[in-house]
Amino acid sequence: MKITALLVLKCPGEGSDPVILANALDVSHFGYFQRSSVKEFIVFVGRTVASRTPQGQRQSVQHEEYKVHAYNRNGLCALGFMDDHYPVRSAFSLLNKVLDEYQKSFGESWRNTQADSTQPWPYLNDALTKFQDPAEADKLMKIQKELDETKIVLHKTIDSVLARGEKLDSLVEKSSDLSAASQMFYKQAKKTNQCCTIL
Amino acid sequence: MASTYRDRTSEFRSLTETLKKIGGATAPRNQPENAPATSQASSYSRSEFNRKASRIGLGIHETSQKIARLAQLAKKSSMFNDPMVEIQELTGLIKNDITALNSALSDLQNIQQMDMAEGNYSEDRSVHSTAVCDDLKGRLMGATKHLQDVLTARTENIKAHENRRQIFSKTAARENPFQHQPKPATEPPPWSNSSNASENLQETSGLPPNGAPAGNQLRRRLAVDNAPSQQMEMSLVQQVVPRQDNYAQSRVTALHNVESTITELSGIFTHLATMVAHQGELAIRIDDNMDESLANVEGAHSSLLRHLNRISSNRWLLIKIFGILILFLMIFIFFIA
Repeated sequence: MKITALLVLKCPGEGSDPVILANALDVSHFGYFQRSSVKEFIVFVGRTVASRTPQGQRQSVQHEEYKVHAYNRNGLCALGFMDDHYPVRSAFSLLNKVLDEYQKSFGESWRNTQADSTQPWPYLNDALTKFQDPAEADKLMKIQKELDETKIVLHKTIDSVLARGEKLDSLVEKSSDLSAASQMFYKQAKKTNQCCTIL
Repeated sequence: MASTYRDRTSEFRSLTETLKKIGGATAPRNQPENAPATSQASSYSRSEFNRKASRIGLGIHETSQKIARLAQLAKKSSMFNDPMVEIQELTGLIKNDITALNSALSDLQNIQQMDMAEGNYSEDRSVHSTAVCDDLKGRLMGATKHLQDVLTARTENIKAHENRRQIFSKTAARENPFQHQPKPATEPPPWSNSSNASENLQETSGLPPNGAPAGNQLRRRLAVDNAPSQQMEMSLVQQVVPRQDNYAQSRVTALHNVESTITELSGIFTHLATMVAHQGELAIRIDDNMDESLANVEGAHSSLLRHLNRISSNRWLLIKIFGILILFLMIFIFFIA
């Protein structure tokens, strides 16, 4: 369940290459010497996929051991490089969020950029670390997980309530026996008291 | 049918011949000629009855074999390669066989009735034919019951698969479906299971829910197969549209699951509330019992206390006792002395 990279690109259509607007990579699990080549690879594959994603479409492409999820919205394209276990829906909701955030913070200025921008965008880096766990990204998954946990807790509660019911049953039995015994005791005591008043 | 009887007709015939020779030496000569003819005719019709009965028995045997094979298929069908079509075919075939056997059996019974009405059958023969008919009917009923059991087992299997598929569709779509994840929420609570079991699913209604998760699966497989073909743009364009659907569909299914989970939770809460209410009543009963026993014990205690007081403080009692003793002594001495 790992995100390796998140990219935001500007896709000007089928003609020219997409332009990278923001970039966040997590290559810590590669060796030191592989990191730059991995970065190049990610940038290249990202450009290719983004250029092939039509407007207003979502797409998931399998490349070696990564899945690349791309979402193109009005020429602004967000990509995510995830491994196979990351659920698709959370991936796309994450991309949605990234695009919304980008549009909120940068407005429409990105339409004019022609060269790859190299300034890091802190939100993207934060998002990369925060959303390594798919439950964070996808509210639905979080809700589902919490509901399942609640259900488990409720099952346990019901089991303990059933046990309590059994104990209460045995208590009822014992208390009724006790009341019968005490009644016998009372009668006996009255009987022994009655007979010796004459003497 | 053919295994449990010995054909002693030849012995019987020879016996009748000897008896006739001994008993009716003056019997008319044409009778033996008639007798073989009639016995031939009756044995012909009787053996026709026998033949039909043996054919029906064979049919029943074959049908029960088919039912056993169907049971095996239904038991071994796993989640992803169940031979749905084959099972359906086999079930249809078995049903046809059973109806045919039913009609053949009723024909046999008609023949038996006709024969009994027209010919002067001996009691043994009628008893034998009724026994044969009853045996066949019993076997056919056993076979139908077995078929029913197999069908119910199959529907339960389908339901279990449906449940498992729902669970797997909630988690990651890329998970290997043959890994059985240890999800503790899969243990169905007894009350919801009973409410599930009360719905009588026929096997035909088992088919559409089987089709729907198969459709889900198909979509998921489509999503996986989409990925490697990124080289060809044309196919890419074609495959992007179902991908879009897949995203929306998956959201829809996830929402449905959330909704059903919430309804389940509400059901569990109501159950909990009823149980606690019942147990509250139990607690009240316990309380009443305890109060009653306390009152009894108090009363008994007070009476015993009074008793003790009366005994311990009554000096006059002592004087009375001694007075009576001395009285008796004096009367005793008085009478003796």
